[in-house]
Amino acid sequence: MKSTEYNYDIVRSFVNWSVLWGLVAVLVGVIVSFQMVDPRLNFPPYLTFGRLRPIHTNAGIYGWGVGVIFATFIYMVQRLCRTPLWSPKLARFQLWFFNATIIASAVTLLMGYTTSKEYHEMEWPIDVMVVILWVVFALNIIMTIIKRREEHMYISLWYMMASLVGVAILYLVNAAAVPVSLFKSYSAFAGTNDANVHWWFGHNAVAMALTAPPLAMFYYFLPKSTGVPIYSHRLSIIAFWSLLFMYLWTGAHHLLWTPVPDWIQTLAMGFSVMLIAPSWGSVINGYLSMNGQWHQMRENYLVKYLILGITFYGLQTIQGPMQAIRTFSAFIHYTDWVPAHIHMGTMGWVSMICFASIYYLVPRIYGKKLFSIPLANLQFWLILVGQLTWSFSLWIAGVLQAGMWTAMNPDGSLTYTFMETMVEMYPYWWIRSIGGLIYFVGVVVFIYNLVMTVRHGEIASTEAAAEGRA
Amino acid sequence: MWEKKPILLLLLATAAILVGTIITVVLPFAWVNTEADRIETVTPYTALQQEGRDIYIREGCNNCHTQTVRPLVAEVLRYGDYSKSGEFVYDRPFLWGSKRTGPDLARLGGKYPDAWHYKHMASPRAMVPKTNMPDYGWLSANQLDPTMIKRKMDVLGFPYTSDELYSLADKNEMDALVAYMQKLGSDIPWRNAAATTIVGNLKNPYADSDHSTLEEWEPLYEENCEACHGEHFEGDIGPELDGASMEDTELFEIIYNGVPDNGMPPFAGLGADKVWQVVTFVKYYNQGEDH
Amino acid sequence: MDLASILYLGVTFGLFVIFVLIVLRTYSKKRKDEGEIAKYRMLDDE
Repeated sequence: MKSTEYNYDIVRSFVNWSVLWGLVAVLVGVIVSFQMVDPRLNFPPYLTFGRLRPIHTNAGIYGWGVGVIFATFIYMVQRLCRTPLWSPKLARFQLWFFNATIIASAVTLLMGYTTSKEYHEMEWPIDVMVVILWVVFALNIIMTIIKRREEHMYISLWYMMASLVGVAILYLVNAAAVPVSLFKSYSAFAGTNDANVHWWFGHNAVAMALTAPPLAMFYYFLPKSTGVPIYSHRLSIIAFWSLLFMYLWTGAHHLLWTPVPDWIQTLAMGFSVMLIAPSWGSVINGYLSMNGQWHQMRENYLVKYLILGITFYGLQTIQGPMQAIRTFSAFIHYTDWVPAHIHMGTMGWVSMICFASIYYLVPRIYGKKLFSIPLANLQFWLILVGQLTWSFSLWIAGVLQAGMWTAMNPDGSLTYTFMETMVEMYPYWWIRSIGGLIYFVGVVVFIYNLVMTVRHGEIASTEAAAEGRA
Repeated sequence: MWEKKPILLLLLATAAILVGTIITVVLPFAWVNTEADRIETVTPYTALQQEGRDIYIREGCNNCHTQTVRPLVAEVLRYGDYSKSGEFVYDRPFLWGSKRTGPDLARLGGKYPDAWHYKHMASPRAMVPKTNMPDYGWLSANQLDPTMIKRKMDVLGFPYTSDELYSLADKNEMDALVAYMQKLGSDIPWRNAAATTIVGNLKNPYADSDHSTLEEWEPLYEENCEACHGEHFEGDIGPELDGASMEDTELFEIIYNGVPDNGMPPFAGLGADKVWQVVTFVKYYNQGEDH
Repeated sequence: MDLASILYLGVTFGLFVIFVLIVLRTYSKKRKDEGEIAKYRMLDDE
């Protein structure tokens, strides 16, 4: 089959826009990190930490993360099914509606229209937009799979389909609210129930939007980059069903020691630890796929991104279950340790895979050789150093903070006031900001490399472009 | 089987997702927010408090402040009684948060007098020199909109009177936010229960300290007392301090347990030793200068 | 044992059996080639 049949046009558009939203997400992240070290950088009413932080997280998840999901899923589904996209028109609508949704989210969040629910801050009209967007996307992907010309469904397709239903269920339930006006609604659930529903959403948004899709990408782009198949398709299947089944029980590990019933917390704790198995099933599958191919870590920058990405996934899925244990949670929850954990997942695991996927895609969808492999390598080191600086500074800060919060005098009183513990954070927050800046520079290098590839890249057939990896 | 049938795979995936969902998310509705965890004294928010809560949400305060005290020793000492499910039945949405860049606020109600909050919100660094909290004085310039608040109260089904709504027209967003903060965690009478009874004879272990020792304790006064009682004991939100006129033990009891009705927070969390240092500083510092 | 405990153990055991069945099916000798074919097919799509 000739590749000309595939619809690359829409993949190009999604890549371009998601990269832009990724840049915005990192930029706003750097800004809010500086607001934490110097409160004079807050400019009320619009540009305060409280209003900007949700823009950072939502631009990262919905603009960058979901944008790359759109781009890569549409590419992968066509290749894996050996058939063009079911409806290019619907996909075109999806592109513009996606951008409208992201812009509407950013504007309304700046205005202070927010539900306050983390990673689901957008008010109900935008929820409606997100639902339309997802239904259109899911329909297109599923119809393409149904009309496929390749009988066997590769594991990436499984993860894609799980993500499609998973996100739909989570988002719809957690969005349940009673509107007061166009810009204000009250949650359909109250207090402890609302907390339990919300963190079921919150944690599984990580599963369905930030784990299943990057795994789909990893399972696709790793063998495509190395030229050898994954180690075991059957292992990936066992890991798939286990992951899908176990994840949904774990939301309440965000609510350990809160008024949520103890048995829910205990289940969440147990299942979180059990999740190590399916998570590492994928990690090990990735590592074993490199058997005899480890030299490619040196020669092929794509492999470097992908293997580092899956390594961070492995670390993330050890650290996560550790934090989900009551005793450990009692110590580090609510401290700066937690954002350090999250950012290893987002900056290390998810974004590494996204960068690799886009580096793989751009030469193929534009038919041009990558502008500069040295720049791609430079970016790799920038984002790696940036992210490690970011996370290590706050892991140390979190342990310090936790220790000070719980320190007691011999007479049973607290050793430190809250402010005494907070001022200790400033040096670490500075280091974190610098880590964020380094990462931002990495993203700028990435975008420069892409722009130069598209504008001035050597024209090549897709096959020849693929050779560019050497 | 499902390996080649996408629709079947989708259905099975949905089923796998629903098992954990039903058990850990749907089932709890049978216990939570029912008679099982109801607390008699917990009341809905007034119109002013609810509007304050919505401003708290609008400004994203939950990004830096949690609202749930865990049943852990250090936490109960620092913030107050641990949170109970029945206290949150009127919270739509919940505001427990996930990060304490600033302190937990679940038990903030009644800790400080209103005047402390107005001053602190307008200029946090005037009260707490090294805090990174942004200024929110601008909230005072925004009048409330009683029509909108009425609609909100109707949707929530909370009781209100027309007088109550009428009075809102004279209030601003800062009034609402402070009213909300004073309600936080105060529906159960935990403060009385938490007050420490001092038994036996108290004796100030630092009564004979010299002036240079007193100066070492000045930072304690600056961090904990100065915001309300002034740099030179002259008073501001709290009264002028005339340490010499009081017994050491009397001062100790006031500082240790606070005077909740007058807005004086308890400082038992500092521990008896530091409280004695503050007592000694307040009582003898001025005398020392006089001599 | 009361009904709740029997139900609890029954559901847990039932779920475990489903897991074992999936593993046995996936790794059965009969399906060895069938189970791995997709990973070769995906490489061969140019």
